[in-house]
Amino acid sequence: MTAVRTLPRRATHSAAYRRRKLRNEILFWFVLSLFVIFAIFPVYWMFITTFKQVNDLYNLDNNPLFFNMAPTLDQVKYLFESTDFVVWVRNTAEVGLAVVAITIVICVPAAYALARHSFPGSGALGIGIFLTYLVPPTLLFLPLSQIVAGLGLNDTRWSLALVYPTFTIPFCTWLLMGFFKQVPREITEAARVDGCSRLGAMFRIVLPVSVPGILTIVIFAFTLVMQEYVYALTFVSSSQEKMVTLGVVTNLIRGDVFFWGSLMAGALIVSLPVAFVYNFFMDTFVKGITGGALK
Amino acid sequence: MSEVAHTAAYRRGVIGRTFGHLLDNERVFGYVLVAPAIAYIVLLVGYPFAIALWFTVSNATVSQPIGPFTGLDNLKIVLADDIFRRALLNTFIFTIASQVLQMILGTTLAFLLLRKFRGRRIIRGLIIVPFTIPIAIGVMAWTWMFNPTYSVINWLGIHAGLFTEGPNWLGEEIPAMISIIVVNVWRNLPFNAIVLTAGISSVPQEIIEAANLDGANFITRWRKIMVPIIAPILFIALLFSLVFTFTDMTVVWLMTRGNPINSTHVIASYAFVTGVISGGLGRGATISLFLFPAMLVGALALLRSLKARTLD
Repeated sequence: MTAVRTLPRRATHSAAYRRRKLRNEILFWFVLSLFVIFAIFPVYWMFITTFKQVNDLYNLDNNPLFFNMAPTLDQVKYLFESTDFVVWVRNTAEVGLAVVAITIVICVPAAYALARHSFPGSGALGIGIFLTYLVPPTLLFLPLSQIVAGLGLNDTRWSLALVYPTFTIPFCTWLLMGFFKQVPREITEAARVDGCSRLGAMFRIVLPVSVPGILTIVIFAFTLVMQEYVYALTFVSSSQEKMVTLGVVTNLIRGDVFFWGSLMAGALIVSLPVAFVYNFFMDTFVKGITGGALK
Repeated sequence: MSEVAHTAAYRRGVIGRTFGHLLDNERVFGYVLVAPAIAYIVLLVGYPFAIALWFTVSNATVSQPIGPFTGLDNLKIVLADDIFRRALLNTFIFTIASQVLQMILGTTLAFLLLRKFRGRRIIRGLIIVPFTIPIAIGVMAWTWMFNPTYSVINWLGIHAGLFTEGPNWLGEEIPAMISIIVVNVWRNLPFNAIVLTAGISSVPQEIIEAANLDGANFITRWRKIMVPIIAPILFIALLFSLVFTFTDMTVVWLMTRGNPINSTHVIASYAFVTGVISGGLGRGATISLFLFPAMLVGALALLRSLKARTLD
């Protein structure tokens, strides 16, 4: 006891100060919780709808926020067995891979040239490419639908593989330029002095150290493809050719009847992986869109 | 005689060397590498845009894409169309209302997220979710939450004693407009908040401390230090979010289809109805073209801000 008393006293704050601090703390967490609830309640709603029994879901006397009957996998089963969900997932994977391939083949050289070489018009070209990211699908979907039809791609998923690079290329080129600029000039200059060609310097020196940047654009190209809705809705109408997002939000409505359980099951299955992956890349996205204004 | 001596392999070598030599020229190298990107954009953005312009002055339909030239007839019809005028007004209402709310809520949220607290990363991860999930999917979840019979929002409102019978959110004009704004805010708030947090935390701590020593209060600090430093970033974020909200049709299309009685259409959704559902390419393209000024203003503003930054 005596030992305790001899310890130096901690500075004590007045009761008023502590009360104010506590009040601020409570207010902080209260407001923050409101934001969190607003952000994720729809996801919770998808979740609870997915696993509820139909009789539970459509019973107005039940508390809708919780399970009133045992959870069930019926809606998920319906989604996989009675709809083309699996086909949509496969279509999305195919189109996504095609778009990623086109994007990389086109973006990597363009971003490399624009970031590391100056030639007449290079600055304007860089900005020009970025600005096309602002062109909205809703401005071009009518003429593009005619072009797609002219190419015989009407109502096929490949029409989307052709059109999606129009927004992945501007965004990814811009993003990659940032990555390429970070590679010190000295190392390519040293390679050039040693007799390496420009192309050789790109393939042997800069690209190997830019793998993280290239992986980032792969992720972005893929998630942008998964999120797109307007072109998908305009160009594709047969269920067999649909992308997963479009399929989920259109094919689970038959006439006036919404299959909410299965619709939300599909929504949940599509959202979770995208949300998870995207979460890690949010800062890169923000950095990309603000044009590297932030460090 | 010497020509005969040149074997195919030799000639290939010469061509290869010449090409390689050309490619080592900085200009040639640059243009060759950028060419595919430019070609793609010209063919699939520039060319369709030219077609869109042609559509607006012709009577093109899905069955007859190369319609006769009709001059400004489409524009006259569109401007006289009450639904279009309402859609134009709605586009502005939705964009401005969502943007104002996003700015207010986004700033609040940004300051909350700047504090160092336990579980900050997780909270931040949860907050970002609306921006990360595909927009069409998020909108469907809200449509279900606004369902006329099973609306969970009405259930909560009734049980909290806010109202005895909730509105039919998507079936009445004003509630439908509110719903659309709420969903727009829900979707874009995380983007605004994250850009703001990134901007604010990029302000050097020393400057703030110096200002504190000089006795600057919160408002002064915010006005004289934060705003000038983060303005360029905020400006670009605002621009993207304005252009994307202005030109979006997904929220309106999935939630209300422009109903009740065509009162919630926006330019983009009405262009879709006219051009794709009814097949009137000419008129649809004319309506779409009203999105172009917004995009142009956005592009010019972005250009100016980028230029200002490279001059620094």
